[in-house]
Amino acid sequence: MAVDMSMPVLVVDDYKTMIRIITNLLKQLGFENIEDAADGKEAFAKMQGNNYGLVISDWNMEPMTGYELLREVRADDKLKATPFIMVTAESKTENVIAAKKAGVNNYIVKPFNAATLKGKITAVLGEF
Amino acid sequence: MTAAPNEVADRVRGAISSLKKSNVRDRPLVEVLELSHQLADAMKFFFGSLDQTIHGEFKYIADFIHKAKDEISDLCPNEISGERIPGASLELDAVVRDTEAATETIMTEAETLMCADISDPAAYKEQVDAAMMRMIEACSFQDLTGQRVNKVVTTLRHIEERVTAFSTALGVTDSAREETKEEIRDREQLLNGPAIDGPEVAQDDIDAMFAEAPDASQDDIDALFD
Repeated sequence: MAVDMSMPVLVVDDYKTMIRIITNLLKQLGFENIEDAADGKEAFAKMQGNNYGLVISDWNMEPMTGYELLREVRADDKLKATPFIMVTAESKTENVIAAKKAGVNNYIVKPFNAATLKGKITAVLGEF
Repeated sequence: MTAAPNEVADRVRGAISSLKKSNVRDRPLVEVLELSHQLADAMKFFFGSLDQTIHGEFKYIADFIHKAKDEISDLCPNEISGERIPGASLELDAVVRDTEAATETIMTEAETLMCADISDPAAYKEQVDAAMMRMIEACSFQDLTGQRVNKVVTTLRHIEERVTAFSTALGVTDSAREETKEEIRDREQLLNGPAIDGPEVAQDDIDAMFAEAPDASQDDIDALFD
């Protein structure tokens, strides 16, 4: 099934610069409808009112981390199937395992480049 | 010279034992007075040595406190808290400001170029060259931030040396303490932060995990790390 490039994508990070970078990369890839949130709590609230086709989230945020957001999303009947990619500086094995166990679809360690982001989105959503 | 505790105890014991053995009723008054005098001498000796012992202990404590005060003065705590640490904080604030400003410049130039009109190649080349120059100039932030960070590192090393010398001089060891709320949250949320020399697990290894076991169970995941 072709990827709907107009689907809303949610980028979650407490650093405005990182949101800007990921947003620019997604636009370059052809995604048209990109929203953002500054932490997991804000993101989860936005997800209650919007059907996002993809969530790209950082890990270390306050008051709710990306890891907590992932677990909340997977525990929510309405949201649990939402594709979720973690983009984070957390690179220890325990982090990757915990995220995998919590149901993340893919995991990108910072710093990353456009090719890596495209590759992981393709792995999760399919070719576009 | 302070008598040994055993010697004092023996004297008192001896005086009391003498009194017990003697029948005060039948003794002449002179002998009773003599025995009382012996007991009084023994008690005087006991309290005298006690004073010496207590005095010695207090003097040791006073000397230790005096030495600790000297060590704390050598720490120069007022200089550290009043100048060095606030100075380091200001430097780090400046690093954040400088990097934010540079990032803003570079990203704005890049975004502008991505939307630039390419119909006129010459004009476009001129626009690109100008934008590249501004981006290159913005990269000079690295020189300033490097200097600022070095100053902060110097301050931290200074504090480390002082604290190490202090704890060594006083023979201080770390005591067990409870985790703070922040430490508990960091541990529970696996907040380790960026690794010093780059990611601990490379992207290729992470990709291998997700490719080989897209719907892995915990056992499958664990097996990948055996």
